[in-house]
Formats: sequence, structure tokens, C-alpha cells
Amino acid sequence: MKPKITAMAISVALLVLCLSDRLPAAEKAVLLKNGQIITVNSGTVSGGDILIQGTRITKVGKNIPPPAGAEVIDLNGRWVMPGIIDSHSHIALEGDVNEMGDLITAEVDCKDVINPQDINIFYALTGGVTSVHTMHGSANPIGGRGIVLKMRWGKSSAELVFEGAPLTSKWALGENPKQSNDMGMGRARYPKTRMGVEEAIRDEFEKARDYKRKWADYEEKARAAKQSQGKIAPPLPPKKDYRLEGIADILSGKLWVRCHAYQSEEMLSILRLCREYGVKLVCFEHGLEGYRITNELVKYGVAVSTFADFWAYKWEAYNTMPQAAALCANRGVLVALNSDDPERMRHLFNDAAKTVRFGGVTEDEAIKMLTINPAKIMGVDSRVGTVEAGKDADLAVFSRHPLDPFTVCEMTMVDGTVYFDRAKYLEERKKAEEEEKTKKEPEKKNGGEI
Amino acid sequence: MSAALLSSQAEPARLFIKNATIVPVVGARIEGGNILVEGGKIKAVGKEIQPPADAKVIDASGMFVYPGFIDSYSHFGLVEIAAIASTSDFREMGKENPELRVVWAINPHSVHFGTGRVTGTTTALIAPAGGTFAGISALLKMDGWTVPEMTFKEAATSFISFPMTPRPVGEGIAVQAEAKEDVTSKLVEKIRDYLKEARRYLELKKLAAENPGIRAPEYSAKYEALGPVLDGTLPVIVSVEKAKDIELAIKFVQDEKLKAIFRGCAQGFKVADKIKQSGIPVIIDSLYTGPSEPEDGYDAPYRNVVELAKAGILVSFSSGDSPAQGKDLPYHAAKAVAFGLPYEEAVKALTINPAKIFGVEDRLGSIEVGKDADLLIAAGDPLDMKTEVKQLVINGRAIDMSNWWETLYQKFKSRPEN
Repeated sequence: MKPKITAMAISVALLVLCLSDRLPAAEKAVLLKNGQIITVNSGTVSGGDILIQGTRITKVGKNIPPPAGAEVIDLNGRWVMPGIIDSHSHIALEGDVNEMGDLITAEVDCKDVINPQDINIFYALTGGVTSVHTMHGSANPIGGRGIVLKMRWGKSSAELVFEGAPLTSKWALGENPKQSNDMGMGRARYPKTRMGVEEAIRDEFEKARDYKRKWADYEEKARAAKQSQGKIAPPLPPKKDYRLEGIADILSGKLWVRCHAYQSEEMLSILRLCREYGVKLVCFEHGLEGYRITNELVKYGVAVSTFADFWAYKWEAYNTMPQAAALCANRGVLVALNSDDPERMRHLFNDAAKTVRFGGVTEDEAIKMLTINPAKIMGVDSRVGTVEAGKDADLAVFSRHPLDPFTVCEMTMVDGTVYFDRAKYLEERKKAEEEEKTKKEPEKKNGGEI
Repeated sequence: MSAALLSSQAEPARLFIKNATIVPVVGARIEGGNILVEGGKIKAVGKEIQPPADAKVIDASGMFVYPGFIDSYSHFGLVEIAAIASTSDFREMGKENPELRVVWAINPHSVHFGTGRVTGTTTALIAPAGGTFAGISALLKMDGWTVPEMTFKEAATSFISFPMTPRPVGEGIAVQAEAKEDVTSKLVEKIRDYLKEARRYLELKKLAAENPGIRAPEYSAKYEALGPVLDGTLPVIVSVEKAKDIELAIKFVQDEKLKAIFRGCAQGFKVADKIKQSGIPVIIDSLYTGPSEPEDGYDAPYRNVVELAKAGILVSFSSGDSPAQGKDLPYHAAKAVAFGLPYEEAVKALTINPAKIFGVEDRLGSIEVGKDADLLIAAGDPLDMKTEVKQLVINGRAIDMSNWWETLYQKFKSRPEN
């Protein structure tokens, strides 16, 4: 056996180590004892306990007696918060997330390309992240459908899906769909202006309305034909168009619209269009200039899913500041801090701390931007985002307060199952490294023949 | 080294920082300490000293004073908006540009100087990038009206980008990967050949100067620029990532007798003893990064710093490729502390260590009498993202802390609410 192969085998073993003996029993009880519990909805409980039965939290409080047969985990005063929710991500998807082949691609669906072996799922867990909204890219004014996943590392793609979470439609305005920065296939394509981007969306709405009218007309005629008992010939159905079906799902409100946008005026403009067509625009993605239009965002109930401080990578990302998230939040806009990047996802809790310094939100508000706020934006707030009885046992344990600069995520649970345990990870790694060392020697002695 | 010029703005020649917790880096922490600044230098430090009558007094009660941080690798002033080519000046065409100097291209009024220093950076190494020989970096103070005013050391380091052995993609391609290791060696040979040519040029030029009969070689700006690198007077930053390549790079710089500083060393923890033996210091890249290879472990970037420091290697932090994220410099240090780097080591790696690495520890990196008065005054621990740095002192002057973010913030905070 080659050492390289050995290394690969060990790494695979390392990646699944947290699962090996912690498979969830149907109604297994786990009691987390003696933690500093950041509940999000009702303050911090010092020296508190969390009782988990099956996949749900059943009790939060002090001195909860462990039920018979419960596994007891002593937190030793460490901090627990609801698992971090990343409302804008592209992880766990196969290949490219931008369908560059056409302008409008409402027919494609991230659900079809979930990759449960993406190591970024594991990295998410190491940063306390338990759910992500993973989505189509931003090359298209109306792109594909996105999906909410739980970080059940080691499970199948179907098992990663967050049951019951609303499906989303990814839109994009500005530089990416108008291909200002040589994105895409290196050839000119309509649109090249913000005007064209908006018109591309309006055109598609009209086409979808027309399409739905044709189907309604067909169905009416088909009914009449059926009732006529052969006197009227049955009509031919219109051609099925999956793209326009997707747009129709947007117009009917079945899909929650998540619109990538940077500049304040393009946001106001698309908001007007959405109101005209009755489209449910839930959230602006990035929304780096959202702080300029907080009045309007509050009035129309549109959230912002943004970066703590990522900026100046392109022109439309220049007119902003790390105070933006705080200014929006302090003026009543629902704000989530997202990663949009598998690496940033590992330190979203550090990013949240920055919004305390820049713009001055309270620490509680900063934690909300990682938990209940994204949960609301993703429509899963009845299931996750707080530590309270009845919610999913999705939890992140930290060595210190999550906003402390020197904190480390030490354990992450999804549905009451530990998917990441740093102490155990280190122990296994040490063992693997020692094994690797001892394995190398005999290989040399017998001339490499095994 | 050019003289660090004081700004022409009318300022009292003397500054007195009163009643602070002073973290001098060299020497013990002083509670309730005072610092007297005169002529751009630290004149006195201690509990007992009194403010001269004409000094501007900064009351730093409840605050912390650290030496200004030194960013060991940045592109400040060389790129404004990454996606817009016309705002980018750090990457020249071609592979061999050892003669190019960043001071020819820096925009001293880039917004990133103002925003990049809000967390305490007072000096930055500003680096070129690209190719094998990227050019010559400069050390700049983070305040001034012109590049010459800001320039602390015009030629700070040269650069060599060491070739990287590609990662084998799956066991089936292991054979191919081994073949590629030869490619790495071949690429190293090319660098050696280039240096050999430069040496030959310099020798011939010297011979020609001494012997009228020998014709001098045709002038080469590139070989001229490598002169100080080859005689060891100009340090060279060698960027290298993989463990195997680090070993090759150590041999390379030793053979070539270069005064090397490594940058990156993502897998340095695997060969920490060898780096230590070589005496080569290491500039750590942004810690907002994943492991070099998944097998290194998810925490490899942080573990790496801890292991390198533990081995006794001189390490320093840098903000990395994006000046827009320059303000994150102390947060990288915090990340390393979270994973086991002793706090004092982390602060050193932001101050005195880079000063030593760049050979300017007589002027920068600690709060000691006689050193440049480059200081940060913070409301709390400057490694904490929640802490506000209230004031920076650069070359003895309490600088204007306004910046692009603050301008936007003040403007839009004033929009009336619904």
C-alpha cells in the first residue's frame, strides 16, 4: 500500500469519525448540562441545561434531571447557541452553480445536484453552521431554484434536505447578469445594462402570464369537451414549458424570491416591479447599499442577507461599509449575515462580532443575524434559530462566548446528533498520525513489497 | 531608508498620552502609564513622567496603548477595486520583473489606507505580485500626503514565487503527480539559471570596470536589481506552500545564499523543525483560508501558526491579497490565539517580529524610548473585533481617523426614518 493511499484512507476515516458511534436512536435522550445558553428568544441562561429527546429540544432550564438512559454531556460552563444558519451559500452542489447557457433559467433546480460528499459540509459544522440555503449563481436575472439543507454530514443527498423549507428562486441584478466583469462565456449577450436586466424579468413575467392563460384556456375547453360527450372535439394541450412553469411558481408565490442586488436604486426599482406583479420578494442578497433605503425595506418587509465586511471587489460593492448591516438592523430591517463562501462560513461568528464594533448593534442582535433572522428569511423559524422547547436540536457549542475573539467551536449538533466534536477529532487525528508514522517503517524494511 | 517626514500640518511638536494601560511588547505591561512623544519619536515612557506645558495631551484613561501594527504583506494603494483593471497596479506582465518598484505605482489616497488602518495598522509592507520575480516591495507608514512622505523603506524586499508541486488528484493519478514533482525541480532549475545569469552579468560588469580591455555587458535593469538580492543585502520573500516545496525552497535559498523570508508556508507545521534549523522567518498569509489539503485538517491554517511559533520560528501576520480586507490584520492574530498561540506571541507577530524580519527593529515594533512614535490607542483589546481603536499616532502625530466608511455612515445615519 502506498503511503499516499494510506493518507487518503485516514482522512476519510477522520471525516466520518464523529458519526461512527453516534448514530441517532429513534427517541434517544441527550442532556447537555451546565452551559451558558444563548437562547436568542429569551436571554442567556447561565449554568443551564438543555434536554433533547429524539431530534427535538424538549426542555431548557436549570437543574433538569436526566431521564433514564439519557446520555449526559457536561458542557463545563461552555457556551451554547442555536446552530448557525447561513442564508446564502453555494456549498454541497455538484459543479458550477451558474447556468450560463441562457439568460433566464428558472427551470433548473439545485435539488437535482446536491452533493452530500462536499467537504464544505464538514467545514460548515466546524464553524457551528447547521443549516444553509444553497443556491443557484448570479449570472441570470432569474436563475434556478435554491434549497435549504441541514448539515447532516455523511447522509445521502435526499437526507440533507431541510424538510418543509420553502423553495426559493434566485434572481440577480447588476454587474453579474449584465456581465460587466467578464463573467460567463466571453461573448456579448443581452442585457448589458441595469435597464435590460429589469426588462428581461418583466418580459418573462408577461410570457408566464400568457402561458398560464393558454393552459387555463385549454383546461376550460377540455372540460367543455368532456361535458359535451363527444360533440366538441377535445383540444390539444399547449406545449409544456418548464422555464415558464418556474416563472409561474414565482408569480403564484410558491417560490420565495431571493434577489442578488447591490445598488440601492436597482433594489427600489425591482421592488416596484415585484409589487406590480404581486411577487413575493423575500430578501435582497448582499444588498450592500441596503443601508441607504432602510425606510423602503422596512415599509415593504424585505430582508437583507449580507456580508459583515466584504466589499470593494467590484464597482457595485464599493459604496458600502462594515457598518451597513448594523445600520439596517438598527432601523428595523431584518438582517442576516451570510457567507456566500465555504471559507467565510467557518467564521461567521467572528463576522457577527464585527457588527458590534462597526455600527454598534448589541451582542444579542449580532447573534440574531446568525440564527433567528436567517431562519425567518428561509421560512424555517418555527423549526430552528432559537434554543427553546419544541425546536430542532441544532446547536453549536463554543469554548467562549461566540463573539469572543478567541472562541473555538467545539461541538456541533444537528437533530440531536453530534456531527462534529473537536476533542474527539483531535484524539482521532493524533491516533491516525501515530499510525501513519509506524506504518512507514516496515515498508522500508521489506523493500516496499507488501 | 528615506527620512520619515512629519506632516506639514500644524501640530504641537510634543504629544502626551496619559494614564493608559501600555503594552510595550518589549518589556512589561504598564498600568496607568504615560508616553511622551517628541519630534516623531518616543521620548519617555512610564508612570512618573509629567506632561510638558506645550504638549497636546490625550487622556487615555481606561484605554490600551500598543505599538502600531505592522502588516507584513499587502497591496495597499496598488488596487482599489479588484474587478476593475484600471484600478489595479500590482501585477505586471511576464515572469521576471525583479526591477519593478511598488513606490512607482502606489496611490497614497486610496480609500484602503484610511479603512485599512482603523484596527491599528501603522506600517505596511506593500508588495507586487505575479510571475517568478514580482519586483521590489516597500514599507510605508499608513499616513501622509505623498508616497515619498509615507515611505519608510523604499526597497524592503524582493520576491520569488517558488513553484508549487500540484496536489495528486486521486490515487489513479499518483504516478502523474510524481512526474510533476520533476516539473517542480525543473522550474526551480530555471530560477537557478536566471540567478546564475545575473551573477555572470554582475561579475562581468565588475571585471570590465577593473579591466579596460574587457567589454561591459549590455545594461540589464533586471540583473542589476538582483544584485542586492544575490549579495544578501536585500531580503527576498519566497512564497511557498507545500511541505515538500518548503524543503526544496530551504535548500534553494541556502545554495544561492539568499537572505530569505518565507511567505505562506501553509504546510509549514509538517516541517517546522527544518524551517527552524534554516533560521528563515515566516510571514503568515490571511487566516481566512481553508487548509492547503483536506488531509491537513480543517484547522490547519491556525494550527500551522501555533506549531511554527512553538518551534521558535520568527512569524508575523499579514492581511494578504486584498487591501479592502486590510483591517482584518489583528483578527488573524486573534484566530491563531483561539487555536493555541500564546497571546503575547500573537502581539509580537503584529509588531516586533515583522520589525525584526524587515530589519527595522531599531525604529519600529515596540514602545521604547527612541523608537518612532507609531502607536494605537484602543478602547479595549485590539485583537478583539468588538474593540474600537480610538486614535492612531503615526510619526508622532495623532492622525485624522476619518475614512470612507465613516463618511458614508455619518451621511446615511442622518437620513430621516419613516
